[in-house]
Amino acid sequence: MFLLKLILNRLVQTLMTLLIVTTLTFAMLAAAGGDVLNTLSADPLASAATVQQMRHIYGLDQPLPVRYWRWLEHTVRGDMGESFYYHAPVSRLLFPRLLNTMMLALLALFMAWSVALTLGMMAARRVGSWADRSCEAIILLASSTPRLVLALVVLALASQFSLLNFGSGAALSKAANPVNRSSSWLQIVLPAVVLAVPLMALFLAQVRDGVRQALREDFVMVARAKGLRERDVLFRHALRAALNPLITIFGYSLGGVMSGSVIVETILDWPGLGALSVVAVQSRDVPLMLGIVIITATAVFAGNLLADILLHLNDPRLRQNDQRHRSVQSVATR
Amino acid sequence: MNGKFFVTPKFATTLRQRFKAALAWLAIRARLAIGLCILLSFALLAGGADFLAPYDYRAQSRMEPAAPRAAIHWQDAEGNWHLRPFIYARKITDPLTRTYTEDLAKRYPLALLTRGYSYKLCGLLSTNLHLFGLQESDQNSAPRLYILGTDALGRDRLSRMLLASRFSLLVAPLSMLLASLLGIVIGCLAGYSRRWLDALLMRVADAMMALPVLVVVLAARAAFPLALSPARAGVLLVALFVAIGWAEMARLARGEVLALRQRDFVTAAYSLGMTQRRILFRHILPNMSRPLLIQMTLMLPAFLLNETALSYLGVGLQEPEPGWGNMLAAANDLTLLQAQPFELLAPALLIFVFVLGVRLVSDGLQNR
Repeated sequence: MFLLKLILNRLVQTLMTLLIVTTLTFAMLAAAGGDVLNTLSADPLASAATVQQMRHIYGLDQPLPVRYWRWLEHTVRGDMGESFYYHAPVSRLLFPRLLNTMMLALLALFMAWSVALTLGMMAARRVGSWADRSCEAIILLASSTPRLVLALVVLALASQFSLLNFGSGAALSKAANPVNRSSSWLQIVLPAVVLAVPLMALFLAQVRDGVRQALREDFVMVARAKGLRERDVLFRHALRAALNPLITIFGYSLGGVMSGSVIVETILDWPGLGALSVVAVQSRDVPLMLGIVIITATAVFAGNLLADILLHLNDPRLRQNDQRHRSVQSVATR
Repeated sequence: MNGKFFVTPKFATTLRQRFKAALAWLAIRARLAIGLCILLSFALLAGGADFLAPYDYRAQSRMEPAAPRAAIHWQDAEGNWHLRPFIYARKITDPLTRTYTEDLAKRYPLALLTRGYSYKLCGLLSTNLHLFGLQESDQNSAPRLYILGTDALGRDRLSRMLLASRFSLLVAPLSMLLASLLGIVIGCLAGYSRRWLDALLMRVADAMMALPVLVVVLAARAAFPLALSPARAGVLLVALFVAIGWAEMARLARGEVLALRQRDFVTAAYSLGMTQRRILFRHILPNMSRPLLIQMTLMLPAFLLNETALSYLGVGLQEPEPGWGNMLAAANDLTLLQAQPFELLAPALLIFVFVLGVRLVSDGLQNR
């Protein structure tokens, strides 16, 4: 029952957000003026009549609210229009790219989690140990290395040791046919590593602090007094108690992963949504851009929802206390 | 036996503990201090970029495109050592692989405080003094000193990188200030207003926070013409960052306001008959300054990185104006990257050091 309410709540919120963002984009379009045919109208070979005709074909001569309404109507039915740049349905362009980006993101999340858990547990076990101190240094370095910088360094190293066989063109020329490429496992591992490093720092800091705090609690002392193995104390009791903020942070990190994938995919030439969004903005392809925003935002919201559900499954207190928690909050608000 | 030792074991432990505590205190203070030093030097670098840069960022050496960094010698071709370092003139021998060979006939010594293009120091003092360069020579064909080599159009990479700091270090802090101002105002408003308005504002903030920033900025950017003048690009980027960045600050400020309004000293102030406005400005805002400041230090690198990313993608600051982002775009040329990785990635190093500096300040504030 509660979960149903949560899902409904989130669904409404997602739809509202998407509505606001797409409306704003359309409104800004009006404020800025100009459209995809601007470059064409500068071309002396295209007469004004031709441009006008093309505007009519694309529906660009309609007033903005009408365009927005028409676009919305089609999108609700699952038809996101046609890309100006690729001359193909947006939805058909998006889905293979979405799969690629999700593959990359999942690999990055897996890497970040596994490294963060291993190092974090090692660090939390003994405060002030060498593992703890090196973790601190790793967190500082990893969290202040921007993905842009890291991706370029990786690119430089890859070109130095000729690890990747890039085509002659960059992401732009390959964007049209993402499937047709030489596949090498490094082609996905390198961008995934770059995507994972800042995430790893975030998770590592959280694991270390959370587990360290949990190890001070009474139930850990009881578990130890019972004679449980240290491994069980750590993983069954301390980690479980420290899991809540980890799940929340996982949810919040998804937006960052999507933002990061734009730059990482462009630099390291991975045919995902991020690289596609760069093409879309450079060619001012509004239907494609809107489609990307919608699908990315939906993916992020879905991830947040998943995090919320996991949170409620992990922690019975949240389920029980929900009603009480609310009333306390409302007192605080007044 | 015991008398041999100056320090009794008990005293030793306390001393060691004190020493450790002092070290920890120093480590935290040192972070803040180092971070602030880094930020200060970046401010000086941006302010004195014209003085530090040896050449005009637009000046081209057409015969020296994509040159590697200049080789600075102390020892000449005959094996004689010189007190003053010098360079040789270079000539491109293979345009395809961008191979340069040095002309060993004449040395061109380096000098500090040389005369170059004229500029206004701090916007007031007109001067043509530069920190370093080649010693003045009467010859017209004197080569130029390219510490980081030249870009594809034969412009000095070092000068461009130094001048580039201005755009980034103006846009990011300005967006940070405006976004936090907006966020604090909205947060306080939400904290003081009725439930429906509070809920509405926070829902919007939640939605903004969940959205992937760069994708939304790109989408908004798609609405504007691709080519923009630096001033318009700056204003546009600041506006976009403020429009998206306020949410996190608002959420934080609202939480702080709600928590502080419950505190006894606020109730006491209220019972003394202070107006709500006075309570807000005298009691609540000063007490929430620390978390807000920390949040600001988290926003600054995010904005800087978004700006460089957009410039890298060609939709932020654009050529011929130099930006760290659009300079890094030269790294797309993989053969050039293979040949001159350090020259091409120098702006990335600056970005890294800046982010590290902000991060150190942030850590120092958090752990104080």
